[in-house]
Amino acid sequence: MPLDFNQVGQQIKQMGGDLRQTANQHDQLVATAWANLEQQSPRWEHWARHAEENYLRSPWLLAAPAEPITNRYRLPKFAPNYCLAAVDGSQIDLDRHWAVECFLINLGLVTIQYGQQPYSKLHSVPALHYNDQELLLRDKDGRSYKMAGALVHAERDTREGIALASLAQEILATSTAPLVAMQDGTLIRWSLSGLDPWVRSHFLQRYLDEGLAALRAADVPTCSYISHPKAPEVTGIARLIAKPTLNSASKAEGIIDPYPGINDTKLFGNGLLGDGERSALFKSLSKINVEEYGEHAIYFFYLNVGAELARIEMPEWVAQRPEWVDLIHAVAYDQAHRGGGYPVALARAHEQAVVRESDRRVFRQMIEQALWHARLSNGSSLKQDAKAQVRV
Amino acid sequence: MQEQRIGEVIEASSTQWTTGAYELLNAPPFGSLIKAGCYDNDLCVYGLVYDIRTGSRDLGGKAMVRGGRRYDGSEFYDDQIYSEHPDLAAVLQTEWSALVIGYERAGRIIHYLPPQPPTVHYSVHLCDDNTVHRFTQHCDFFRMVLHANLPIVDELLGTAIRNAAELQANRREYELYAGRELARLLRDDYDRLRVLVRMLTS
Repeated sequence: MPLDFNQVGQQIKQMGGDLRQTANQHDQLVATAWANLEQQSPRWEHWARHAEENYLRSPWLLAAPAEPITNRYRLPKFAPNYCLAAVDGSQIDLDRHWAVECFLINLGLVTIQYGQQPYSKLHSVPALHYNDQELLLRDKDGRSYKMAGALVHAERDTREGIALASLAQEILATSTAPLVAMQDGTLIRWSLSGLDPWVRSHFLQRYLDEGLAALRAADVPTCSYISHPKAPEVTGIARLIAKPTLNSASKAEGIIDPYPGINDTKLFGNGLLGDGERSALFKSLSKINVEEYGEHAIYFFYLNVGAELARIEMPEWVAQRPEWVDLIHAVAYDQAHRGGGYPVALARAHEQAVVRESDRRVFRQMIEQALWHARLSNGSSLKQDAKAQVRV
Repeated sequence: MQEQRIGEVIEASSTQWTTGAYELLNAPPFGSLIKAGCYDNDLCVYGLVYDIRTGSRDLGGKAMVRGGRRYDGSEFYDDQIYSEHPDLAAVLQTEWSALVIGYERAGRIIHYLPPQPPTVHYSVHLCDDNTVHRFTQHCDFFRMVLHANLPIVDELLGTAIRNAAELQANRREYELYAGRELARLLRDDYDRLRVLVRMLTS
């Protein structure tokens, strides 16, 4: 049955009205939060310490300011002569209904050089995994974990980081233009937080050692670009300022949120950053970042790219070099402009990596053909067949 | 002389094929004679270039307006757009169609449809003067062009004849020869004949 648009239309209209009302309330809360942050901005070191000491007890996600909280920076003067390495990935997950157990990771790799010698190279690298060793992770106690769902996703994330480092090293061998390595999405592997500690470490250590550490060794300014971020970490500082005494008793009772519904995008996107301006630098105090990232701890700033507010993340060894922060600031803005609001290199990497529904069908047919040629059963489950076809 | 490899077959049928260019925007002129290879190594298929176009490689993709003012105030247009966006070379593709007008087997040129269409992904070469001269010595291919179900056949044939005439030792004589052949083929369609003859003589 098609959607009843008469009914839905009424509900959408109601939603629009409610959202307007909420937005008005949010504007007032944002103004208050920003005023408090501005007032406390000179005491940023105090709040950084306080946040670092309390990030575990806080009911809100926190960040530690790395400089006066309300600092803002204009777009640096910049000659667009640079090379950008970008990576994105996608996967075809293991599907137990298939005739054979396997998964595929497809990485899109992009090099674009601007300036004197414009140049681009776009390609994708698919990798199929079907061996038992690839489908099962085994820890030292012999416990095994099947590579499916979140684990395939974690493997893809890890590969993206490692591939970015390899790509950057390749580029450095041939190009002399300033190089920036950029990933889509966050550098903080939130998705690993909920996994078993051994599994988490299996993925994260490879990501840190072969990805970020390799990029550091190659001296490459590295960052990631998050479009439409939802993080509430800087507003977490505002919450901490409003409720500085956090204790477990009050946490159990539930501390009343002084800024309900406010996140960093609402805070900085409310006209506080002009076109091209970026916020101060902050260190993320998410548990995995503080406890596992070590020298690669992730810092971030917010950047008004004109069309939207973006969150730019970078490891500590990048955040400590102001000339690199400036370069990343300028490159992220330049990229977003060339791409009509979103970095063109990331869009191209996505186009290279994406596995469309039609590709999935062909992939499945190829596997079935291969099984047939090998005289193996191609019997996928009947449930899968039923889902693929509507019988009337 | 080695003939220039300019692209490869990306779609083919017995009567026409599509070539994807190796270099963006680098297509042979409308009406040029090109040839495409076949998995049957003895065979190569000849065609006339028409419908040259450039667009997104991605199905459903569409080029967008990119020129104008940059955020730093500078303006960029035309070839500067390609310098500003080097990735365009990788996401745009130039391609063209070719109307099949004959084939060659074992060194013999035949002005009929080939036994097999060109093979997808095989190379496409731009024919050099020598080959154009050899192929257009006889006017048998006129019939195939005139009978093709395309809106631009008269333009296509007119251009091909002019190109062929330029390579002849006696241009005037070739034009007369071609004119007589056209008059025979279009004896029932005076208006089309008049347009074609005017193309040859203008």
